[in-house]
Amino acid sequence: MAKLLVVDDESNIRLLYSQELSDEGHQVVTAASATEAVEKLAAGDYDLVVLDIKLKNESGLDLLQKIVKERHDMPVILSTAFSCYKDDFSAWLADGYVVKSSDPQELKDEINRVLAKKAGRSKAKE
Amino acid sequence: MDWECCWNKIEVNPEECPFIAEGEEELYTVHKRRVIEKCLECPRMAADLKRSQESGAPFSDIMPLLIAEFQDQKARLNSMGSFLSSKTKEIRFLHELGLVLQTSLGLDEILSTALTAITAGKGFGMNRAFLLMTDKERHCLKGYLGIGPRNYEEAWQIWQEIDQNKASLKAMARNFLETKLSSEKAKFHDILEKLSVPLDDHGHIFNRALSERKPILVTDAFHNPEVPPKLASILGVDTFLVMPLITRNRRIGIIVADNCITHKQITPQDMQSLEIFAFPVAFALERASLYERVQEDLEKLTSANEKLKEQQDIIVRMEKMALVGRITSSIAHSIRNPLMVIGGFARSLLKNIEESDSKRGFLESIVREAKLLEDVLEEVLNYSDSLFPVKDMWDVNLLVSDVCRGLQGEMELHSITCSIEPAPGLPMAYIDYKQIAFCIRSILGNSVNTLANGSAIRIKTVLEGGDVVVEITDTAKDIPSEAMDVMTTPFSATQELGSGSALSMCKAIFDKHGLPFDTVSTADGGRRFILRMPGKKEEA
Repeated sequence: MAKLLVVDDESNIRLLYSQELSDEGHQVVTAASATEAVEKLAAGDYDLVVLDIKLKNESGLDLLQKIVKERHDMPVILSTAFSCYKDDFSAWLADGYVVKSSDPQELKDEINRVLAKKAGRSKAKE
Repeated sequence: MDWECCWNKIEVNPEECPFIAEGEEELYTVHKRRVIEKCLECPRMAADLKRSQESGAPFSDIMPLLIAEFQDQKARLNSMGSFLSSKTKEIRFLHELGLVLQTSLGLDEILSTALTAITAGKGFGMNRAFLLMTDKERHCLKGYLGIGPRNYEEAWQIWQEIDQNKASLKAMARNFLETKLSSEKAKFHDILEKLSVPLDDHGHIFNRALSERKPILVTDAFHNPEVPPKLASILGVDTFLVMPLITRNRRIGIIVADNCITHKQITPQDMQSLEIFAFPVAFALERASLYERVQEDLEKLTSANEKLKEQQDIIVRMEKMALVGRITSSIAHSIRNPLMVIGGFARSLLKNIEESDSKRGFLESIVREAKLLEDVLEEVLNYSDSLFPVKDMWDVNLLVSDVCRGLQGEMELHSITCSIEPAPGLPMAYIDYKQIAFCIRSILGNSVNTLANGSAIRIKTVLEGGDVVVEITDTAKDIPSEAMDVMTTPFSATQELGSGSALSMCKAIFDKHGLPFDTVSTADGGRRFILRMPGKKEEA
C-alpha cells in the first residue's frame, strides 16, 4: 500500500479522504495549505499527492508546478470542485484529474491507476 | 378709273376678293388689314398700279418701291419671328431639361433624360445617340448607353409611338428608364463595346473633343483622315457629332449623336444648342457620381454603426452573462464541497451499518440525493461555463485525439473501439477549446453509455467550404428526432433537473458560438453528430 499526501484547505474533506483512503489500506497524511504540503513533502517520502486546486490563499496549480519542477517523479492527482480546469494547460502537468464527488470511487480508481503506472515505470528503470 | 382690286373699298363681299381664304372672313370688313395682308400681294392690285403708272397718276412710280420695301421688311420680320419662336421653344425645352436634371440624382435617371432629350422630336431630334463614360480604373472611354432605332422599321415604330404620345420630357425619360433602359443597353451592346477608346489615344477624335473641350462635327467620316475607319464603319454614318461632357475639372465622357435614319444635316445651330445642353448634363452626371459615392459612404457608415451597436449589445449581453455565470459558478462551488462532505460521510457510514438497521434507509437517501444534487450542480456549472466562451485558433484534429485519449480507459472498459480519420491539412478552427472539447467528450460519453459492449465509434474530420467539420458516428439505436430535440434542450426534463443531458449543453454551446449542432440518423440505424466550426477567425 502507498503513502499519500492529501492537500485540501477543507478540514472535512481532509477527514473524509483520510478515512476513505485509509480504508483502502493507504497511509494518509494531510496538509491544509501549500506551505504545509511543501514542508511535509520535504520531510517525508510519499508515493503520491492528492491536490486540491483552490486552496485558501494559494493556488494548487502553482504547487503542482513546484512539485513537478522539484520532484518530477512524484505523481500528483488533482482533486477539485471545478471540472473546467480539466482543459487548462497547467492542469495537464498532473498525472490524474478527479472532480470532487460524494462517491470517492473515482478518486480511488485514479490513485490505483497512477500508482500502477508509477510502479511500471520504476520496474522499467530497474 | 375702275380698279380691278378691292383696295379702295371699305367693305367687300366674297365675289369681290377671291384671295380671302376660309377663316379670314374678318378681312371682308376690316379695310386696313385687308389692304396690308391681301391687296399688297394681289395681282389685281399690281395691275391697277401698272395702269395708274401708265396714266401718269401722281406717286404711282413710288408705290411699287414702297410695296417692295414693305414686303421685304415683312419677310425679314417673319424670319426673325420664326427664329425667335424656335429659340423660345429651345429655351423652354432647356428649362424643362434643367428642371428634370436638377431633380434627378441617379446616374441612369440622368442618362435616360439626356439621351431622350437628344433624340426626342421636341428636343434636338437626332436619330441616335451614344454615351461613353470615362472609366478611371480602366483608363478609357467606355460605351455605356445607346438610344435610338437600329433600322427604318424600328424608327417608323418609335416615331409613331412618339407621335401618339404627347408626353413631357420628364415622363418620356421616366418611361425610358423604367421600360427601355435595359433593352437599349442590350440592343447597342455590340456597338458600345466597340466604341470604347483608351484615354491615352490622344489622336482619337473622341479624346480630341475632350481635350479641346468643344464639340466636333464629323463629316465625310468614311474618307475623313481624322476619323479612324473602324469608327466610321461601327457607326455606319458619314456625319456625326461628338459632344464632350466636361465639368470644371472633370472629363465625364462624350455623347456621339447622328441622324443615321433620316440623314438630316447637322447644322452649326444644332451643335450650338447641343453644346448648351451638354453643360447641365455633365454637371448632373458629376453630381450623380458624387451622390452615388456619398450614398456608398453613407451605407458603409450606417452598416458600421449598426455593427458597432450590435457589438455594444453583445458586450453588454456578455457582461451580463459573465456576471450570471460568475454568480452561478460561485454559488455552485460553495454548495459542492459541503454536498460532497455530506454525501461522502453518509456513504462512509453506510459501509459500516448493518443491512437490518432501520437507519440504513435514511443514509441511502442522503447518498442518493447528494449524488443527484451533484449531477445538477455539474450541469449548472457546465452551463455557466458555456456562457463565457474564449475563442482562439485551435487544431481540431489534435483536440479530437486529446479527448479520445482521455476517454480511452472508459472505452476499453466497455470494449468499445474508437477510430479517428483526421483530414490532412485541416486549417485551424476559431473556437473555445474547452467548450468544444467538452462537447466532443459529452457526445463520446453519451455513445459509450448508450452503445452495447463491443460497438464502434467513428470520428472523421473534414474541410467543407472553409468550415472544419467533425462527424461522430456511432451504432446506437436510432433515437427519434423528438427525443433528440428533448435531449438537446437545456434542462429539458424540467421536472427532474438532474436528468438533463450533457448533449443539451453541447447544443447550447454551439448555439452560443452561432454554429449548427446537427444530429442525423445513419443508414444502418446509428447516429451521426455533425459539428461545424469556422475555419478562420470571424471578421471583427
